[in-house]
Amino acid sequence: MTTTAGLAAGPGLHAWLLLAAVLFCIGIYGVLSRRNLVAILCSVELMANAVNINLVAFSRFHGDLLGQAFALFSVALTVAEVGIGLAIVILVYRARKGIDVDELDLLRG
Amino acid sequence: MLILALTSLLAPLLCFALLAVVEPLRRRGRLAGRLSALVAVSSFAAAARVAWMVLVDGADPVTWTVHWLVHEGQGFAPVGIHIDGISASMLAVVTLVAACVQVYSLGYMADEPPAAQGRYFAWHSLFIVAMGLLVLAPDLLQLFLGWELVGLCSYLLIGFYWRKPSAGKAAVKAFWVTKFADMGLLLGIIALFGATGTMSWEHPPAGIWALVVPALLFVGVMGKSAQVPLHIWLPDAMEGPTPVSALLHAATMVAAGVFLVVRAYPLFEAAPAMLTFMAWLGAITALVAAVTAVVQDDIKKVLAYSTCSQLGYMVAALGSGHLMGGYFHLTTHAFFKALLFLGAGAAIHAVHSNSIFDMGGLWRKTPVGAALFIVGALALAGVPGFAGFFSKDLILEELLHAGHLGPLLLLVVSAGLTAFYMTRVVAIAFFGEPGARAAHAHEAPWIMLAPMALLGMLALVGGFGGGLLAEAWGQEYHFAVTPVGVVTTLFGLAGIGVGVVRYGTRTWTGLTLDGLRGFILSGPVDRFWDSAWRRGLLPVARMVGWFDRYVVDGLMNLVAVAVLKLGAGVRRLQTGRAQDYVFAVVVGALLFLAYGVVGG
Repeated sequence: MTTTAGLAAGPGLHAWLLLAAVLFCIGIYGVLSRRNLVAILCSVELMANAVNINLVAFSRFHGDLLGQAFALFSVALTVAEVGIGLAIVILVYRARKGIDVDELDLLRG
Repeated sequence: MLILALTSLLAPLLCFALLAVVEPLRRRGRLAGRLSALVAVSSFAAAARVAWMVLVDGADPVTWTVHWLVHEGQGFAPVGIHIDGISASMLAVVTLVAACVQVYSLGYMADEPPAAQGRYFAWHSLFIVAMGLLVLAPDLLQLFLGWELVGLCSYLLIGFYWRKPSAGKAAVKAFWVTKFADMGLLLGIIALFGATGTMSWEHPPAGIWALVVPALLFVGVMGKSAQVPLHIWLPDAMEGPTPVSALLHAATMVAAGVFLVVRAYPLFEAAPAMLTFMAWLGAITALVAAVTAVVQDDIKKVLAYSTCSQLGYMVAALGSGHLMGGYFHLTTHAFFKALLFLGAGAAIHAVHSNSIFDMGGLWRKTPVGAALFIVGALALAGVPGFAGFFSKDLILEELLHAGHLGPLLLLVVSAGLTAFYMTRVVAIAFFGEPGARAAHAHEAPWIMLAPMALLGMLALVGGFGGGLLAEAWGQEYHFAVTPVGVVTTLFGLAGIGVGVVRYGTRTWTGLTLDGLRGFILSGPVDRFWDSAWRRGLLPVARMVGWFDRYVVDGLMNLVAVAVLKLGAGVRRLQTGRAQDYVFAVVVGALLFLAYGVVGG
């Protein structure tokens, strides 16, 4: 771990990783438990941002800007993903008159 | 000679194929019948020439075989033609009777629908082929093939009047009883093959097999040649048309069993115990069947039991260790019993009933038919000069030489009974008081009388052909008056005398033995088999059936049900909801993580 003078004042790397892990778990919990498609999309966003925090945190503590560049790409990709996701949600709503995921079980065996 | 024998075999085959395949020809019954009869006559002509060449000109035996089923470089089951004195003479007898019966059938079956006639003659042609295969067989396998084919023809022809339930039942009964016996024959052939590696009858196996093989073969003989207690199918087989009874169930097919013993004699000779058994069983059959024949009122049933009885003579004769007597009787019996059946058929044709009491007094209405029937009856009764006399005499002579005194005694008594029951039939059917149905009876057409006349001639003079037949074994046959012959003839004449007094004059009313009559008519042997079937076979079959249904099938069903249940369980995992799958992924990832932390 590289430690520089500017970093010593703030929280350590572990704190950031912990924050990211907590966010990720909240995201997973949301994906698994919410029945509203839009809420599930929001939860996926939480998980993606947890990854972004990891990228930025490692970038900062390693002193390598490449991680932050990746985070920017990731944000842009997530935006596209949300766009497609919301489009799917609208189509589902039109087709099924609802966005409750418990109703979407056409693949049931 | 080979070409001639093949002709007599293949011509009926061609005829059968033609009638079977070309439907318009079959449906024009009379044309089909004429074609079939013509083929049968030409088949006889060829067979007669072959027999003449072998027996008179002394041609050497010929064997022509096709090897198939090749195993280790050599065929073990040759199929082909074996011509020697025995097969040539038998083929001539078979085709002669077949030709007579087919010509006779042209008249007898004339009132049947054309399609039924076509069917009838097609099966008749098939029968000649099958019998030819059997007679000319070079080994036991082909003989078995012919044996089964004649059994099939018998089944089909007994059930010819298939609209009658009794005919269907009789056909099935004949099929089952003979098939039961044929299992013995088949096992015998397999045992022979196992013991010697060939299906030829020339090399008897060694050790215990020397007894087992002929014993198994003889089970088949008992079924086919209607020996007690497997004779029960023959009287029922009379449901078929009368010419069929004459050809299959009197002259040729039932004699196939006797022919088998003659043919495969080296195997039987190797087991003296078997020969003694045959002598006794044949004699018992002869007596039992003769006693049963006395109480029958159906003319065909009398003749059927008489056939059983005469087959008993043949089997007993073969048990004496001499072949000539049994085989001689086979040929003479073929002539006079076919004649008797054809005569009975003419009488049935005239009065439309099988009962001898309905016929009464036919002598005045149908003198020619009656006279020919009486010739047959005299030959059967063993009156000196007729064919049956010589062969029966030779049988008894041979049994005396072999020292089988018990069977000999039974056969002498049977000879008296034979004469008695034939006299009874003749006296009631042809001389008795005119029956109600006999009033409008008229003589059969010439096409029926002509074959009968030919057979009548042979029944008269056939006995003098013994010398010719003896050539088959390179022996000589001379008739000589012997004490046994004299006693038997006296028994026969006494039987005729008692019959004439009892049924001809109607003055003697004592001693009717009603109890015995009732017992015999109730069919004790049939009841024995019936109860054996009910008490013996049926419970075993039920047990096997239970095991199959609940244990074998049960195991199968268990496996099937288990798979079904498992599938239904697994199916419930597939909820179709994406969240559940994600949950599974997360749990899986956590498990990997836990493994990494704890195990790693």
